[in-house]
Amino acid sequence: MSLRLGAMLPEVLKHLFKKPATVQYPFEKIGVPKGFRGRPVMDPNLCIGCQMCVKDCPSEALEIHKESEATDEAGKVSKKFSMTFYLDRCSHCAQCAEICPKKAIHMNSEFEDAAFDRGALKIVYK
Amino acid sequence: MSTFILPVGPQHPALKEPTSFRFMVDGETVVDADLRLGYNHRGIEKGCEERTYIQDLYLLERVCGICSNVHMTVFAQGVEKLMGIEPPKRGLFIRCLMGELERVHSHLLWLGVAGHEVGFDTFFMYTWRDREIVEDILEMISGNRVNYGMQTFGGVRRDLDEMQIKKALDGIAALKARTPYYLNIGASEPTLVARIAGVGVLPKAKALELNAAGPTTRASGVDFDVRKDDPYAGFGEHIPFNIVTDEGGDVLARVVVRAKELMESYNICEYILKNLPAGDIRVKAPRKVPEGEVVSRAEAQRGECIHYIRSNGTDKPDRVKVRAPTLANWPATLYMLRGGYVADIPIVMAAIDPCLSCTDRMAIITDPKGNEKVWNWETLRQYGIDFYRKRGIKL
Repeated sequence: MSLRLGAMLPEVLKHLFKKPATVQYPFEKIGVPKGFRGRPVMDPNLCIGCQMCVKDCPSEALEIHKESEATDEAGKVSKKFSMTFYLDRCSHCAQCAEICPKKAIHMNSEFEDAAFDRGALKIVYK
Repeated sequence: MSTFILPVGPQHPALKEPTSFRFMVDGETVVDADLRLGYNHRGIEKGCEERTYIQDLYLLERVCGICSNVHMTVFAQGVEKLMGIEPPKRGLFIRCLMGELERVHSHLLWLGVAGHEVGFDTFFMYTWRDREIVEDILEMISGNRVNYGMQTFGGVRRDLDEMQIKKALDGIAALKARTPYYLNIGASEPTLVARIAGVGVLPKAKALELNAAGPTTRASGVDFDVRKDDPYAGFGEHIPFNIVTDEGGDVLARVVVRAKELMESYNICEYILKNLPAGDIRVKAPRKVPEGEVVSRAEAQRGECIHYIRSNGTDKPDRVKVRAPTLANWPATLYMLRGGYVADIPIVMAAIDPCLSCTDRMAIITDPKGNEKVWNWETLRQYGIDFYRKRGIKL
């Protein structure tokens, strides 16, 4: 292969007339794909309190608490659970969503999760 | 001959991560080089013993940002061997696909970094722009750009649909058209060639003697690749590819080997995407692992990655040992630096694609009085918290 000076120059000059490869974030945003792993969202109506998500979470970012317990006339016990989620610990692996037997947790497409206050990163679903 | 010791690190503007080098220099020539690791130890191996296998999977993924998928793959296939389960063929093929896509992103990243280290930032800008194509494919398949979290015990976590296969093939075709251009530039731009040819030479005999790994050893003419020599995942089943070697042994040879490996990886990805077997992607895995020990390995983009796992019949491992490829490359790097110029240090070091925190080990300094202590996870953690509190850092 022969050596020639400025081998990259034609490419560089060509790009003077092309659109930039980057976008002006945050004014302009490129979307996230369908399966993006944002933050976990829990539906308390589906939760049965099995604690599988808590056991499997690698960063101990979840807590499941029993909110209420009611027995109806037929003697059927219905329990309600809430989930406390610490976004500052979450590693977005989606293991909680995968292990949940009732599919009560899903990952949303939020990616701008930064906050000035750590307290704002504690989310309770109930 | 008068020599002078040039310390680089533990904290130095040229280092991206803390480590400590001592260079014995005579004028501009490096006479001898010495290395001390242990400044970025994170206790991941110890942490694994306190967590369940599922949690370890994600912890080990974070050993390294660039080779995250490889560490997950190696750990998953080691534990699968202990459990006695075999992932389905489709799962194994997707496992290989993720490995190759990761290799593509890593090699493109490295080409850019190599250009940057020798002051060729134009090269860096274009390779990193094209790297976005493969990053988009990875994000589309796994839902994340860096820690893909695709591997699990018994297979992979996500399947590919027709739309994704089509998009991935389009992206790979674009990269395949683009990469020969970089190979061309790497070998024909005289300023670049003059800067990297004959620098950091590692002869074949030395590469073998010092146990170098990955593209570093292949650029010295050693045709070793775990994918071929100890096939894992789908590589045992007829995924065709060639091992790329070069006889040069210098930094230029390492650029050429990596650029050609990119072409091989594109071919592997295309083959997998076009010949993806039908069926399930995973089998059910038990939560407890039977007693036993296993060594598992895979070809990371930087070389051979080895995990040793010992289980005790519970849901937590007894011992996990990680040998990241950079650790294998350090002796060879010190050899390459000897006899070179001080100005060559950054590019020779960058040429092995080092990852310092992945390779870091705890150094035990023996106390002659015998006052050694054995620390468990809790005391180690508490020590860390107290250390920062004493220095006025709020936790």
